[in-house]
Amino acid sequence: MAKVSVLNVAVLENPSPFHSPFRFEISFECSEALADDLEWKIIYVGSAESEEFDQILDSVLVGPVPAGRHMFVFQADAPNPSLIPETDAVGVTVVLITCTYHGQEFIRVGYYVNNEYLNPELRENPPMKPDFSQVGSLYLGGVQPCKLGVKVSS
Amino acid sequence: KPIFSVDIHPDGTKFATGGQGQDSGKVVIWNMSPVLQEDDEKDENIPKMLCQMDNHLACVNCVRWSNSGMYLASGGDDKLIMVWKRATYIGPSTVFGSSGKLANVEQWRCVSILRNHSGDVMDVAWSPHDAWLASCSVDNTVVIWNAVKFPEILATLRGHSGLVKGLTWDPVGKYIASQADDRSLKVWRTLDWQLETSITKPFDECGGTTHVLRLSWSPDGHYLVSAHAMNNSGPTAQIIEREGWKTNMDFVGHRKAVTVVKFNPKIFKKKQKNGSSTKPSCPYCCCAVGSKDRSLSVWLTCLKRPLVVIHELFDKSIMDISWTLNGLGILVCSMDGSVAFLDFSQDELGDPLSEEEKSRIHQSTYGKSLAIMTEAQLSTAVIENPEMLKYQRRQQQQQLDQKSASTRETGSATSVAGVVNGESLEDIRKNLLKKQVETRTADGRRRITPLCIAQLDTGDFSTAFFNSIPLSGSLAGTMLSSHSSPQLLPLDSSTPNSFGASKPCTEPVVAASARPAGDSVNKDSMNATSTPAALSPSVLTTPSKIEPMKAFDSRFTERSKATPGAPALTSVTPTAMERDVHRQVVVVKEESLHSILAGSDMTVSQILLTQHGIPVMNLSDGKAYCFNPSLSTWNLVSDKQDSLAQCADFRSSLPSQDAMLCSGPLAIIQGRTSNSGRQAARLFSVPHVVQQETTLAYLENQVAAALTLQSSHEYRHWLLLYARYLVNEGFEYRLREICKDLLGPVHYSTGSQWESTVVGLRKRELLKELLPVIGQNLRFQRLFTECQEQLDILRDK
Repeated sequence: MAKVSVLNVAVLENPSPFHSPFRFEISFECSEALADDLEWKIIYVGSAESEEFDQILDSVLVGPVPAGRHMFVFQADAPNPSLIPETDAVGVTVVLITCTYHGQEFIRVGYYVNNEYLNPELRENPPMKPDFSQVGSLYLGGVQPCKLGVKVSS
Repeated sequence: KPIFSVDIHPDGTKFATGGQGQDSGKVVIWNMSPVLQEDDEKDENIPKMLCQMDNHLACVNCVRWSNSGMYLASGGDDKLIMVWKRATYIGPSTVFGSSGKLANVEQWRCVSILRNHSGDVMDVAWSPHDAWLASCSVDNTVVIWNAVKFPEILATLRGHSGLVKGLTWDPVGKYIASQADDRSLKVWRTLDWQLETSITKPFDECGGTTHVLRLSWSPDGHYLVSAHAMNNSGPTAQIIEREGWKTNMDFVGHRKAVTVVKFNPKIFKKKQKNGSSTKPSCPYCCCAVGSKDRSLSVWLTCLKRPLVVIHELFDKSIMDISWTLNGLGILVCSMDGSVAFLDFSQDELGDPLSEEEKSRIHQSTYGKSLAIMTEAQLSTAVIENPEMLKYQRRQQQQQLDQKSASTRETGSATSVAGVVNGESLEDIRKNLLKKQVETRTADGRRRITPLCIAQLDTGDFSTAFFNSIPLSGSLAGTMLSSHSSPQLLPLDSSTPNSFGASKPCTEPVVAASARPAGDSVNKDSMNATSTPAALSPSVLTTPSKIEPMKAFDSRFTERSKATPGAPALTSVTPTAMERDVHRQVVVVKEESLHSILAGSDMTVSQILLTQHGIPVMNLSDGKAYCFNPSLSTWNLVSDKQDSLAQCADFRSSLPSQDAMLCSGPLAIIQGRTSNSGRQAARLFSVPHVVQQETTLAYLENQVAAALTLQSSHEYRHWLLLYARYLVNEGFEYRLREICKDLLGPVHYSTGSQWESTVVGLRKRELLKELLPVIGQNLRFQRLFTECQEQLDILRDK
């Protein structure tokens, strides 16, 4: 039974304009070589109200994974603004990074993202329809990684 | 958040606490010195917290250090017991999720997860000789684990009908006692793991009001003190005498149930005052009692009243107590999330007896302590041979040196933070996206190959060189360039497709002169690569077939017939013709490689010649064969996908110096990069017996391979490694075989086929080198004496 634990997730280029791709540098540690790949996903939570607004920005297989500590950069495109409800577009939302093995999710890391207008005028008087070209995203750490009960087993 | 357990490390420098974390259980290892000395507390450079582990999925109920201090066991509400071992410093690590501020000063890695209980684990306890780990749980059972071979279970003690909340071992090792909510305290025999006695009378009026029931056995073995008991509706801690399990006395005074009782590990005797009589006083013990009424009392077994009582020490009930090993300090933790430290002076407690005196008391009262385990017996075994004594002493000295070396190592290691293989972590980060290897899988998905930044290491501290990270290039390559004498002469490799090309060897003479006479160095290696093919594989179909021979052990060799008539993979049957350039003798003549290559898609990738003129052939699937001229067969010497190699774990038998860097043709062929993959902690993924078998087979293979390649240096290296492994694991029969073979007949006898040398080394010299290795294990002292006597006889002749 291997144990995989995430050591660090660093957000590259923070803050950045809304449309720039998300880049996370993930370091994790694995106690044994894994037979299969780990699958990492980045999920953008469009709205806190319901999961239907979640956008899976990208999903990537990482492997082969020998024992030891490893690092990789996960780059994914920015979310599709048309899928985000207008009221939740500007403000604080969440980006999730999850990792699954053999289809079972075992770790989930969350980051708060603050989307706000760079132009102070627009901040004061936000237009009815959000103008994403003006919005910048700022990542804040703070959500605890949640370790689920599934251990990575062969 | 409540802290449920506290335990001080046997060396007194740190302590561990276990309790509730955020959504998980938490185990924290703290530095002891800021607790003991105020200056250390104020000093900002001295860390207070050493390591934080959040691996448990639920609240941690118990943390216990093993008696040797090597392991930490933690048990929690998630039904798991985790065994932790310290890892060497690999790189900076922070506790993820704590906004990167909490850096772990020490690294502790979980080496084993013990799953068996079907309910919360309430208490864990190491047996006095660290061979067993006992755990008790709300599933009414006590499980005894084999601490030498995790996760093997030796016994499950069933008998309680209620939640078992406390465990304690008899210091002599004969019994283990457990207390449960079923109002009983049961004592079990370690001899057969059967119930010795069940005590219920003192607990008649008890209810299951406490979270834990931590009981304790006195260090002299005479008394067992329970947690929560009742006497006339008053809460007490019952004292049970070993002889007859009598329950006449108890500790009275607490106003609520007693949660924890802990004996001071030292036995005391009354302080000798000047002028008083010289009559030796009776030794006594000291015991601390903690209760739900938030107060702590400390008793001496020679006094009727407590030594000291401290009321309202905490805001909530006391959960655990731990004494320092010198007996003068005590740590107490509580449900209110705080830990208190109390300091005693020798005037208050008495003169502690030394460990020898304590063992003497054990021996006089109980006979040999822990009579069951042979290992423990060995520690008191009489060393019969003065030579053995010398080696034992030397080993102890080496261990001390290793310890001091490792402390120096860790000191310097901390300054290495953030530097990986020469490049700083920052640079790696910047270049990572460019460097990162990304591919596409068959169904079009993106697949990233992660960059390895550190190897895992759960080995001993002294093997800190494992931290070198093979980020770039293969070590085999670097070894070749740094070696003074190229031992392998790569002749122009013939690509599989060009088998038809046959260049007559017009330049064998040139190649011969370029060969090193021993000294001229790099120039030769450069020359060698540029000389044209000195070998000309010619395409011939020959009827002669070879049976590939796999040498498992130089004593037993199996001949495995390759499937004849298997469909040939190419229309051309490849053969090889090699000339030993040095001697200008055709070594291999028209031998067909058909049988080796048949049945798979292998091609010959490279052909080399060792210094001794042994041809070695590398195949594309990672196997390497070498030609044994005396037997006219090809022997497999290396297989990159050899599962034996991956399962073998003989790190414990490596000497402290960097023995892994053994050079020679075998090492070069096998390539050192494959080695680092083996360093992964596979100890607990493969059952121990299988691991032993595979390691043995692997080591025997290596010895045989070195022999076939006639590399004496490596033969010696692997033979010593093999012998050391045998000594460590206790395989006496095989060890005897080796010694017998090396010793040969002591008295002259005709008809003996024993050769006094092997690959140019004198066998008896090898035996002499083996002796100190054998000398390190007391179990083999007979073998040691025998060999030594024989060698002496030979020498005197």
